[in-house]
Amino acid sequence: MLSASVLLTIAVSLLSVVSLLFLAQGARGTDWMTLWMDETWRDSLGITLYVVLASTCMSLLIGTWLARTVSFRQWPFVSRVLRLPMFVPHIAAAYLFLILFSGQSGGGWFDANEPHYVTVILTYVWKEVPFVFLMMGVTYEQVNQGYRDMARTLQLSPVQQFRHAELPFLIKPLLDTFWILTAFISFAYEVPSLLGVTYPKLLGVLAYDRLSTGLYLESSEPYAVALVWTVFVTGGVVVSYMATHRLRRRIERGVRR
Amino acid sequence: MIRQFFIVCLVLFPFIGLFRASPDFQASSQETMLQTIGLIFVLALVNVWLAFTLAWWLMWTESRLKPWVEWLVFLPLFIPLLASLFGMYLVFAEVGLIGSRIGVGLALLMATLPYSIRLAYNGMYVIGRPMLEQSLGLPPFKRILYVLIPLFSGSIRTIILFTTVILLSQFALVQLIGAGLVSTVTTDFYQTYAGNDRSRALTNTWMLILLPLILYIGLGGLSTWFVRRLKGRLS
Amino acid sequence: MTLRLVQLHKRFGKTDVLDGVDLVVEPNEIHAVIGVSGSGKSTLLRIISGLTAADRGDVYWRDVPLGNLPAHKRNITILSQSTLLFPHLTAGENVALACPRKNREEAERWLETVHLKDRYDAEVHELSGGEQQRVSLARALAARPEVLLLDEPFTNLDPRLKYELQRFIRDLVKELNLTTILVTHDREEAMLMADRLSLLKDGKVSQTGTTDQLYETSSDFGEFVTVKGRSLPATRVIVNETSGDPVVLKRKLFRFGQLFGEYQDADGTYLILPSLERYEVDETYYIKKKEE
Repeated sequence: MLSASVLLTIAVSLLSVVSLLFLAQGARGTDWMTLWMDETWRDSLGITLYVVLASTCMSLLIGTWLARTVSFRQWPFVSRVLRLPMFVPHIAAAYLFLILFSGQSGGGWFDANEPHYVTVILTYVWKEVPFVFLMMGVTYEQVNQGYRDMARTLQLSPVQQFRHAELPFLIKPLLDTFWILTAFISFAYEVPSLLGVTYPKLLGVLAYDRLSTGLYLESSEPYAVALVWTVFVTGGVVVSYMATHRLRRRIERGVRR
Repeated sequence: MIRQFFIVCLVLFPFIGLFRASPDFQASSQETMLQTIGLIFVLALVNVWLAFTLAWWLMWTESRLKPWVEWLVFLPLFIPLLASLFGMYLVFAEVGLIGSRIGVGLALLMATLPYSIRLAYNGMYVIGRPMLEQSLGLPPFKRILYVLIPLFSGSIRTIILFTTVILLSQFALVQLIGAGLVSTVTTDFYQTYAGNDRSRALTNTWMLILLPLILYIGLGGLSTWFVRRLKGRLS
Repeated sequence: MTLRLVQLHKRFGKTDVLDGVDLVVEPNEIHAVIGVSGSGKSTLLRIISGLTAADRGDVYWRDVPLGNLPAHKRNITILSQSTLLFPHLTAGENVALACPRKNREEAERWLETVHLKDRYDAEVHELSGGEQQRVSLARALAARPEVLLLDEPFTNLDPRLKYELQRFIRDLVKELNLTTILVTHDREEAMLMADRLSLLKDGKVSQTGTTDQLYETSSDFGEFVTVKGRSLPATRVIVNETSGDPVVLKRKLFRFGQLFGEYQDADGTYLILPSLERYEVDETYYIKKKEE
C-alpha cells in the first residue's frame, strides 16, 4: 500500500517533467531570432523581470522581518492575523486590490490598471508575505536561540549577530522561498491579467492569450517562451543550489539543534 | 503595541472593499458549486494521503534513491505552473484528457501536491524520528488513528487549506485543460471580474474567501472533536 | 573589580525563580553557584550577562550598575554545555570572530592556549566533543572578557575528559586573572574548581563561603561520616591504617593535592588519614601508598 502510494506520487511528479518534454516538442519550429527580436516579447520580458524581482524581494524582506520579530517578541495575535491572506485565493486578492485602488468607487489613489504594475506587485506582496512568514517562521522556531545569545555575549555588533547567528540558517529556506515565488509569480495569469495593462503584458499573460486566441492557435511561440522561461528559472535554481552546496552542507553537519 | 497595531491594519486594510457587499451562496450555479466542492473534497483527500505516505517513506527509507525522489517531488515547485500546464495541455491532448474532469483533476493534483508534500515533510521533521519511532509498535490502522492523525492534524488542515486556495485560484488551468467543458466557481466568477458588475463581483469574492475559511474552521472543530473522542476511548 | 548582585528578582508565570539574590564575587575568584535543576542558576547567569532582564534589582561591575546595558557591551562571556560553534565557520574562524581585531594570528594564539593550534581550519563537525569545548573556551576568552560565566560546561563530557577540562579551565582562568562564576548542580565539580561557593535555594543565596568552610560545616556541601559513634566531617580521608592496603575511593573529591571524601574498606573499619603525603592518587581515582 505504502509503496503503491509512493509510486503514484512519483508518477504525478514525473508528469511535470514529461510535460516539459512535450513543451519542448511544441516549441519546435520556432524561429528563435524572430522571437528575440519581437518587441512585444522583449518588453514583456523586461516588465516581468521587474515585477518578479520587486514582488519576490519585497515579500522575502517583509516576511522574514515579520517572522523574526513575531518569533522574538512573541506576538501571537499578529501571527494569527498574518495568516488571513492565505485564505484568499489569488484571483480574489487581485479583485480586492482592484477595488481598493480603482478610481470609480474605491480609494482612487491611482488607476488600478497602471503601466508600472504597482497594484500587481502589492497584491503579490500581500498574498506572499504570509507564505514567507510561514516558511521562515518554522526556521526561526527550529534554530537554536543559543546561537544568538552566544553572538551577543561574544560582544558582536547587532549586524554581526544577524550575520553569524541567523543568516546562515536562513540561507536554505530563503533560497527555497525565493525560487518558489519566482516560479509562481513570473509565469502566472490570473492576477496580472486582472490588474495589468494591455501593453506590456507579463510573460504568462501574453503567452496564455496567444495560446488561447484563434489568431495564434498554430503558433509555437507561446510554447517556446514557456520553455525558455522554465529553463531560465530551473537553471537559476540549479546554479544557486550548487553554489551554496558546500556551505549548506557544512551548516547542516555542524549545527546544534 | 503601536507596531503590532500598524501591522494588523496593513494586513486587514485590503478587506475593506469587501464589506460593500454581503455573501450570497446562490452566486454560482448549484451544479458548479457542487462540482467545485466535490473537486476540493477529492483533491484534498488525495493530497493528504499521497503527501503523508511519501513524507513517511522519506522519513524512514535508507534507499539510495531518496535524494533523487526528493528532488523529483520538490522540482515542480520551481517550475512555473502555467509553463508546465502548456506542456500538459499537449500531453493530455495526446491521451484525450482535454475537456475531462479527470484531466482537470490531474492537473490540479500536479499543481497542489508539491506544496502538500513539503508541508507534510516539514510537519514530520518538526515532530522528529524519535517521537514517531514510538508509534512503530502499533499496527498500521491504530498507528494512524491514535497517533498520526492527532499529531499531524495541524499539518493536515494546512494542506487542505493550501489545496483549496490553490484550486480556487486557478482560472487558466481549468480553462486550458477543461477546454470550457469543465467549470469551477472560479471560472464562473472570472467573467464577472472581467465585467462591470461590481457588486456581483464582490459577492463572488466573498464566496471565494468564505469557502476555504469555513472549511478550515470546520476542520478545526472536527479535529478537536476527534481527539476528544479518542481520549474518551483511551480513558 | 568586584561583581555584585543586589536583590535580583525574576518571576516566570507564577513562580519566583529568583527572589532577592544578593551575591558578591571577589576580583579574580572562581565562584561556584550550586543549585538543583530549576533553581534559577541559568537565569542568574542570563541576567548577569544581559541576555535576560531582571524584574527588580541590578548587577554591579566595579560599582557601576549594568542596568540596561545590552549583552554585547558588557564584556561578559559565557561558556555553556552546548558549545554552539557557528557551523558556517571553521574552528579558527569562530575564535577570530570573537577577537577584537578579528585576525588569524590572534585566533591562532588562543587556539594554542587550548592546545589546538593545528585545528584552525577544521570544520565544526570534524571536532570531537572535547575539542569543540576547547574551541568554545578559546572563543569565549578571545573576546577579552572581564567576567567569564561557566554554565555547566562539562555536562555532556565523559568523566575522564571532564576532569581534565575542569583542571585545565581552572588553571587557565587563574592565569588570566578572570573573575569567574560557575553554575552547576554538581557539588564535586564546584569543590574542585571554585575558591568560594554559594548555594542557591528557593530563589535566594542561602549560604556562601570558601569550599573548606562549607565542606566542614554544612551538610548541604560536605559529607559526614560516623566514626565510633561520632559524626565527623569527611574532610580528611579515611583509610585502613592497620593494614596499610590501598583503598578504592568510592567518592572522589580532589582539589589539586587536597583530598576530600568518605571511604570504607571491606571490613567497615574507619580510620582517619591526616594528610596525603604518604599516599598518591592515580588518574583512575585509586589511592595507593607511595613507594618509599
